[in-house]
Amino acid sequence: MLDQAVFYSLTILTLASALAVVLHRNTVHSSLFLGLSLAGVAGLYASLGADFLFGAQIMVYVSGIAVLVIFVVMLLGRASDLHLRQVNERWMAALLVCFVAAVGLFKVARLQSNIVATGAAHPGTHDIGRLFLGEWLLPFELTSLILLAALLGAVFFTRTENAQ
Amino acid sequence: MIEHAYLIPLIPLAASLIMLFGAKEDPHSPAPWIGIGAMAICLGLSLSILGAVMTGSVSVPYEHNWHWFSFAASIAGKPFLYDMPIGVLIDGPAALLLVVVTLVSLMVQIYSIAYMHEDTRYKRFFAFVSFFTAAMLGLVVSSNILVGFLSWELMGLSSYLLIGFWFEKDGPTEAQKKAFMTTKLGDSGLYLALLFIFAKVGSFQITQIQQFIHQGYMTPAVATVIAIGILFGAMGKSAQFPLFIWLPDAMEGPTPGSALIHAATMVAAGIFVVARLYFVFLAAPDAMLAAAWIGCATAFLAAAMALVSYDIKRVLAFSTVSQLGFMMCALGVGGYTAALFHLTTHAFFKALLFLGAGSVIHSVHTNDMRQMGGLSKKMPVTFLTMGAAILAIAGIPGTSGYFSKDMILANIYHANRPIFWIMLLTALMTAFYMSRLFILTFWGDDRDHEKYHHAHESPFLITGPLVLLAFLALVSGYMLNRNELVYRLLEKPTITATASTEAHGEEGGSAEHHEGHLPHGLHLALPLLVLGSIGLAFALYKGPKYAVADRLKTKFAPIFRVLDRRWYLDDAFDALVVLCDQVATLAYWIDTHIVDRVFVDGWGLLMRIVAEISNLLDALFVDRTVDGFGGLSLDLGVGLRGLVKDGQVQEYLMYVAIAFSLAATLILTR
Amino acid sequence: MNAPLTLAHYMTVAGLLFLIGIFGALTRRNIIGILMSIELMFNAANINLAAFDRFLHPDGVTGQALALFVMTVAAAEIVVGLALLLAIYRGTDTVYAEDFNLLKG
Repeated sequence: MLDQAVFYSLTILTLASALAVVLHRNTVHSSLFLGLSLAGVAGLYASLGADFLFGAQIMVYVSGIAVLVIFVVMLLGRASDLHLRQVNERWMAALLVCFVAAVGLFKVARLQSNIVATGAAHPGTHDIGRLFLGEWLLPFELTSLILLAALLGAVFFTRTENAQ
Repeated sequence: MIEHAYLIPLIPLAASLIMLFGAKEDPHSPAPWIGIGAMAICLGLSLSILGAVMTGSVSVPYEHNWHWFSFAASIAGKPFLYDMPIGVLIDGPAALLLVVVTLVSLMVQIYSIAYMHEDTRYKRFFAFVSFFTAAMLGLVVSSNILVGFLSWELMGLSSYLLIGFWFEKDGPTEAQKKAFMTTKLGDSGLYLALLFIFAKVGSFQITQIQQFIHQGYMTPAVATVIAIGILFGAMGKSAQFPLFIWLPDAMEGPTPGSALIHAATMVAAGIFVVARLYFVFLAAPDAMLAAAWIGCATAFLAAAMALVSYDIKRVLAFSTVSQLGFMMCALGVGGYTAALFHLTTHAFFKALLFLGAGSVIHSVHTNDMRQMGGLSKKMPVTFLTMGAAILAIAGIPGTSGYFSKDMILANIYHANRPIFWIMLLTALMTAFYMSRLFILTFWGDDRDHEKYHHAHESPFLITGPLVLLAFLALVSGYMLNRNELVYRLLEKPTITATASTEAHGEEGGSAEHHEGHLPHGLHLALPLLVLGSIGLAFALYKGPKYAVADRLKTKFAPIFRVLDRRWYLDDAFDALVVLCDQVATLAYWIDTHIVDRVFVDGWGLLMRIVAEISNLLDALFVDRTVDGFGGLSLDLGVGLRGLVKDGQVQEYLMYVAIAFSLAATLILTR
Repeated sequence: MNAPLTLAHYMTVAGLLFLIGIFGALTRRNIIGILMSIELMFNAANINLAAFDRFLHPDGVTGQALALFVMTVAAAEIVVGLALLLAIYRGTDTVYAEDFNLLKG
C-alpha cells in the first residue's frame, strides 16, 4: 500500500512538472520545473530499488544539468521574451502525433500488466561497480572519451574571437 | 654415333653464337678456329654416321624424337591434342649430305682464314658461315618438317647476311634484298604447302606424312597442290626458273660465302627438301612433270647466259643455276638417285670452282676475265685444281661429274625425249662455257700486264682446301658409283598407293637401275661431244684477243644482248613490279575517287540524313515526353515542398515524430 | 489504487513522460525548451531501463548500468547543445528555432 502511494505521488509530481516544463511561458520557471521533474524521476528510481541510479540522477541531473540549464537561461534571458508565446503554431499537430503514439505505447505497456516484482529490491551499487570495472571496462572507458570530446567541443564552440 | 646426330646442327650453332657474342672483333682474332674446330667435330660425326649407314651397321632410316610442345588442334572437325615432337631423321641422303655440307663448310672456313684476313669484320664472317651451316644441317637432320622450315628460313636470313656482308657498298645491299625477297616469294609456297600438309595429315613428321601417302590416303589432286607448293619453295631456294634472278646478284658477297651458298647450303636445300618429301611428288605426277620442265628451262636458260658473261663469278653462278636445273629435272623425271648423286658431286666441284675463282680474284683483284689470262704460270696449284673441277663439271669420263650427269641424262632419256635433247645441248654448253672460263683465265698470255705482274700463288690455307676438293671432285663419283653404292645409299622411295601406280607403273623402282644407263651409242658419243665442245671453246678463245668470238658476237648481236640482259628476266620482274605499282595506283585512285566518294562518303551522307530525321523525331516526340516526365516530377517536387515551410528544424522533427508514432501504433500493436 | 504495481505502471509513466518530451520538442520555440524536452525523453527511457531491471532481471544490474551510460551521454549532449546555443546566440542574437532557417531549400 505504501508502495502504491509513493509511486502515484511521484508519478504525479514527475508528470506535472514535466508538463510545466513544456508548457510554461517563462523559461526560468520551466527550467526550475525541469529540476523538479528530474527529482521525481530520481524518486521513481528509488521506488524501483535502484539506489546508485537514484544517487546519480540527483547528482548529475538535478544538481548538474538542471542547474546548468538555469545558468544558460539566465545568461540568455531577456525580459522582452516573457510576453512572447513560447509555443509555436504546430501544437495541435504535435498533440495529434502524441495521441497516436500514446495509443501504441499503451497497448505495448498493457502487455506487461501481469508482471509484478519478485522478491525484495536489494542494493546494486556493488554489482554495478564490479560490472563497470570488469566485464564492461571498455565501454566504460569509452564513455570517458565521449565526455572528453564533449568537454573539448563545449570549449571550442563557446570560445570568443577575442580569446584567440 | 648416330644417336648423337642431334649434336651436328647444335655444335656449329653454339660456335656461331660464341663467335658472334663472345669474341672481340679483331683482324687477327683466333675466333674462327672455334668455328673450324666445331665444324671438324661435326665432320667427324657425319663421317662416322655415313660410315655406319654405308656398312649397314645401323638401319636407316634412323629416327629419334623428343617431346617439344603440345597444342590443341582439330582435323576435319575432330579436336585432338597434337604432340609436336622434335627429332632427327637420318636416311641415306641425309647422311651423305651431312658429310658434304660439313666438309664443304670446313673447307670454306679454312680457306676464309686466308681470304678474309684483311677484312674489318673478320670473325663475324665466320660466325655467319657457322650459323648458315648450322641452319642447313638442321634442315638435313630434322625429322619434323616444321623444324625444317625453321632452318630453311634461318638459311634465308644467313644468305641475306652473307650476301650483304659488305653492306657499306650499294651492290651488296641491293643484292641481299633481292635474294631475300625472291626466296621469300618461294618460301610462301612452301609455307602454304606445310599448312596444307598439316591440315590433311595432321602431322609435321616426315615419316608420318610418308605413311599417310603410303597408305594412299592422299588424293592426287591434294598431292599435286602440296607438291607444287614445295616445288615453289625449292624454286626460290634452289634458284629455279623464273626465281633464279637472285643468284647471279648474290655474287656481291664474299667469294667463300658464295661457295658455301652455291655448293653446300642454300641451293642444295631446295633440292634436298624436294628429295625429302619426294613421296609427295611420286603421288603427284603433274607436279613431277612441272618440276622436270622447270628444271629443264632453268638449266638451258642459265647455261645460255653463262656463255656470254665475262665476270668469272657470274659464269660460275649461272653454271650453278644450270646444274641445279639438271637436278630438278632429274627429280622431275624420277631420277631421285641421280639428282642427289649430282647434288653431292656438284657440291664438291662447285665449291672448288668458287674457291679457285676466289683465289684468282684474291690474286688479281678483279672479276673480269678479260683482264686475266696466262695465270697458269703464276698460280699453278689454283690452275691445276680448277682444271680438275672443270673436267668434272664438263663431264669428262672418270671424273665425278661424268658419273652423276651421265646418270641424270640417262634418267631423262628414258622418261622424256624432248627434255633429253635440250638437256644434252645444255650439257655441251656447260662444257663450252666452263672451258671458256678456264681458257680466258689461265691459258695463253697475259692481257693486263700490271695485274698479271702482281698476281701470285695463294697461301697454303687457300690451296690446301683446293687440293682436297679437287681430289674429291675427281674421285668421289667413282667411289660412290662403285658397286652400285649410290643406289643403296640413295635409294629411291616408293609408294604402293594406287594413286601413283597408273602414272609410274611402267617405271617403278626396280627399273631404275636400267634407267641409270644410256643406250650404248649415246654413252660413247657423249664424252666425244663434250670433248668437241671443249675443243670449240679452245678454238674460239685461245688467243689473247679471241677475235673469232668477237666476230661472232657482232654477228649475233641481238642474241648476245638478250643473253647479256639475262633473258630480260630482271626487266620482266621490274616490269612486273612497275605494273603492280601501277595497278596499285589505279586501285588507290579507284578507292579514293570512287569507293570513298560514292560508298563511304555517300553512306556517311545517307546516315547523316537519317540521323537528322531521327533527331527531328527525337526532338518532336521523345524529348517532349522526357521533358514532360521531368516537368511532372519538378511540379510534384515544388508542390510537395510547398507543404514544408522554410526548412524549420522542428518541421523536420515533426515528420520524424509522425513516422515514429505511426510506426509505434501500427507495428507494435499489430 | 490497491492493485499491485506492475511493469505496465512504470512503462506507462515512462511513455507519458516521453510523449510530454516529444510534445515539448515539437512545440517549444525556445531552443533551451527543446533541449529540456529532450532531457525528459532521456529520463523516460531511463525509467524503462530501471523498471526492466527490477521486474524482469531482479538479480542483475545491467539495466541500471545502461541507464548510467545513457545519463553520461545525455550529460555530454546537453553540454554540447548549450555550448552550441551560446555560439549561435552570439552570432544571430536569437534563441528561437524558427529563426534558424539556414537549411531552407
